[in-house]
Amino acid sequence: MDQSTLSPAMIEARAISKHFNTEAGRVDLFTDLDVTIARGESLAVIGRSGAGKSTLLSLLAGLDTPSSGRVSIDGQAIETLDDRQRAELRARKISFIFQSFHLLPELTALDNVRLPLEIRGAADPERDARHWLSEVGLADRTDHYPAQLSGGEQQRVAIARAFATRPGLLFADEPTGNLDEDTGAHIIDQLFRLNAQEGTTLILITHDAELAARCQRRLRLHNGTLTEA
Amino acid sequence: MTLLPRLALRQLRSQLRTTEWRALLLATWIAITLTTLLTLLGDRLERGLMRESANLLGADLVLSSSRPLDPARLEQLNVSGIEQTQVVQFPSMISSPDNAEHPPMLVSVRAADAPYPLRGEIETLPAHDSPLPASGEAWVEARVLQQLGLKIGDALQLGYSTFRISAELISSPDRGSGFRSFSPHVLINRAELKATGVLAPGSRANFRLLMAGSPEQISALEAQLRPNLADHERLLALRTDQPLTGDALGNALAYLKLAALTALLLSALTILLSLRRFGQKQYTRSALLLNLGLSPAQLLRIYLYQLLIAWAVLALLGLATAAVLDTLLQGWLSNLLPQRLPDPAALSWLSGAALGLVMLIMLGLPPILSLARVPVAHLLRGDTPPQDLRARALLVACLALLALTLFMVLKAPLAALILLVLLVIGGLAFGFIAQALLQKAAEPLARKLMLGRLLRLRLRQQRKWHRLQSAVIVLLLTLLAVVWVSRADLLTEWRAKFPTDTPNYFVINIQPWQRSDLDTFLHDNSIDSTLYPMIRGRLTLLNGKPIRPQLTPDQLGDNTLRRELNLSWMATKPEHNELLAGQWWSSTPEQPQISVEQDMMEDLGLKLGDQLGFDIGGQSVEARITSIRGVQWTSFRPNFYVIFSPGALENYPSTWITSFRLDGPRKSLATEMLQEFPSLTLVDIDQLLGQLATWLKRLGDSSAMILGLTLVCGLILMAVTLLQALEQRRFEAALIQTLGASAEQTRRLDLLEFLLLGLVCGVLASLSAELTLAGLHLELLHVDPKLHPGLWLILPMLSSLFFVVTGFLIRRPLQLDQCYRLLKAQS
Repeated sequence: MDQSTLSPAMIEARAISKHFNTEAGRVDLFTDLDVTIARGESLAVIGRSGAGKSTLLSLLAGLDTPSSGRVSIDGQAIETLDDRQRAELRARKISFIFQSFHLLPELTALDNVRLPLEIRGAADPERDARHWLSEVGLADRTDHYPAQLSGGEQQRVAIARAFATRPGLLFADEPTGNLDEDTGAHIIDQLFRLNAQEGTTLILITHDAELAARCQRRLRLHNGTLTEA
Repeated sequence: MTLLPRLALRQLRSQLRTTEWRALLLATWIAITLTTLLTLLGDRLERGLMRESANLLGADLVLSSSRPLDPARLEQLNVSGIEQTQVVQFPSMISSPDNAEHPPMLVSVRAADAPYPLRGEIETLPAHDSPLPASGEAWVEARVLQQLGLKIGDALQLGYSTFRISAELISSPDRGSGFRSFSPHVLINRAELKATGVLAPGSRANFRLLMAGSPEQISALEAQLRPNLADHERLLALRTDQPLTGDALGNALAYLKLAALTALLLSALTILLSLRRFGQKQYTRSALLLNLGLSPAQLLRIYLYQLLIAWAVLALLGLATAAVLDTLLQGWLSNLLPQRLPDPAALSWLSGAALGLVMLIMLGLPPILSLARVPVAHLLRGDTPPQDLRARALLVACLALLALTLFMVLKAPLAALILLVLLVIGGLAFGFIAQALLQKAAEPLARKLMLGRLLRLRLRQQRKWHRLQSAVIVLLLTLLAVVWVSRADLLTEWRAKFPTDTPNYFVINIQPWQRSDLDTFLHDNSIDSTLYPMIRGRLTLLNGKPIRPQLTPDQLGDNTLRRELNLSWMATKPEHNELLAGQWWSSTPEQPQISVEQDMMEDLGLKLGDQLGFDIGGQSVEARITSIRGVQWTSFRPNFYVIFSPGALENYPSTWITSFRLDGPRKSLATEMLQEFPSLTLVDIDQLLGQLATWLKRLGDSSAMILGLTLVCGLILMAVTLLQALEQRRFEAALIQTLGASAEQTRRLDLLEFLLLGLVCGVLASLSAELTLAGLHLELLHVDPKLHPGLWLILPMLSSLFFVVTGFLIRRPLQLDQCYRLLKAQS
């Protein structure tokens, strides 16, 4: 039986710490953090610049390993997986949305969304990609290259790309950081709508209190400790 | 198309707009073109002149001798089943009896017996069925027709005989070795030789016995012959010798290849730096692709496909370019090469493409492998990837492999290694000197100009790149200047150092009975010259005992022991020799005495009073050393290692030799002399040097072409090095501009930097070119070095132009709003 169906939590982090060794000595970013995120839950991580939000995100997403403690995603302990298995886990379950969109400039909007589907060997990647582009309201911009799209449109393509693989877990790192307020709000509406529609677990990193308020839970990372806000 | 190649193709297409990919493509293109071109040329030469030596030898085995072939020897070699034929080859002057305005011409005459040749074919125009010219006819090469203004059917004069030219020689095997193989050839039947009167006992000629047979018979014959060859004999076999022609061509080719090595190294450096920058710019992209689900192996394949697609296009392009240049080069060399070059092996067309592939893979693999290891977390935190020790080790290994491949392609590993070491040492030295000079030059500017202070900072900041840039440019300009100057200069200067009365004609093979008539002719025409007797002998005894056991291994290798020496006798010391020790004989001494040349004395460890014994035509002659002479070998006068006192050698068969100078209209006296004494061999030094000069010039031109391509490589490399620091430069410019400087001022700062860099490099290049040229003058030509003021003007200008043009091609001006965005992005 699949272990994940037994686990109620999508992410479980126990006593995780992260430190860096620099020339000036050891820097402890945080120590002994516990986080549990339920399946389908939306969670915002807030905190000042340099507090370690992005590092925490990469630990929770299995992109990095903690200095101590353990993280499990969907019931699978990250430290027991090798690089290839972690990549497979990411491919099956996880998507990302980035502050700076990260679209491939030489691909059209359609091809950008189609790419992860093709990598995963989807049956009809083009149909799926068109579907998700129309979900974010870009059905008429499929053949445009990123340079021909506005910032908001680029981020919508990135959202379509993130949902196209139907991930169980979606990480968004300051998704509106590079957008103006109106566009940002519009994007966020779409993000939460799709999230609700797909039942995805959403983990959001943001400065924006308004945005954070739309999540079911908020955690503040401050001076190496994590508190419910 | 499946996903990965499609992604690779798209990626490549979008990256074609970046300067690093353009530089990489250009550098690879040049590398492929150059390698293909040189391999084609090398292969043609090798096939034409070395490897296909059966055709070249005209036989399977050749016995070559500087004396007429011994009848006993011929008898010994007359084995059943072995085909044989004889050839005599000698230098001679020929003239056109009907075209008196053309001066006589120095050619190499071959007189052969039928069947001829035993291997390969003679190609003539019009084609002939017979293997050799008929009686009274001669076949000549195109150069003879051109120079004497003749056509098929015209007459030519050789010695006492007149021949009708019945065909033009297009190509023929058995051209003989050394310089004679490059002289224009005339082929006659050996039965006609005697009547020409040009050969007499003691004449300088090469006598060959051509042999052909089954491989077993030839091997047996070779094994039998080789151990008991006489001093004047050589055996040339297909398998064992790299025969005949080709030392000169081989050296020329090696020289061209070394010139190309510089271009290849620059290309490799360009590709390395381009890929390094490409790799750095791909971190985010790689992290994204990995994040989207690609495995590292798939990512690796995308980048490999990208390199392979680029390579495939460049290989075709390089091949086409090489084919065009090859045709040009062949046209260029066709007048100079002894025969039409055969087509190269099909495989040699692939060499350049193969090298290009090795270069791209070897240099591309390290950055690509590190891309496959980029952490996806890079997308979130933007941290730079850690220094990867394994990638460095891989890069070093790949560079070593690439160097090995280059050496193998060039087939001159030692020379290439020496050149490489010299380039590295020279490059390091020039780099540091240039950088120090730049700092020094910036000091006064810093005191006087506002920009000068910024310039000082800039020079400090860019010092690493300045070192590399100046090393490359100084080395390139030095090479270019030396080749350019020396191609015209060296021979002219070498000739100019001789006094104006230096002889320009040699007459050899003068028979004793012609001597007094010739003396009279010379005297009547006021030609200032002295006739010297000449006799060949081998040094065999020292103080009554065989000389060889008394010498060290070093001395045994001396030139004077390995061959027969030209001996002479005379009552008075030649004017152009200097008496260094001992005394010249006053009259005919009772016991034979000899005067020995200084170098020979030193090399063999001889001293005054030693008794030397010579074998002259089987008879032994001994004489005591009573004087030592200094001889200027380059005086173009008859010179001898050993001169006997009168009375010792007169009874042996000898020929006479002389040299003289004729200028302007008096050159026609040479024609008259040949008409009066047709059997003499007159060697026109001006013609010989002319041939040599043409060769040197063509070689210079060919290498200038390669150096031109090298210069293009240097230009691309320069662009790439400027590119490496472009972000840093733009950031700095943005900072200066937001702090109050105008865009115009930052432009002037760049201009000042490039001008100064160019000037310093130009001056350094002038200096090093002058030093190299001075070295060549002193060592090679033994003439005083002279300054080349033109260099000091042209090189700094050229080098400044070079930097300013490339610098400004790369540089883009910054608007103020761009500055702010750039600074924000960087922070």
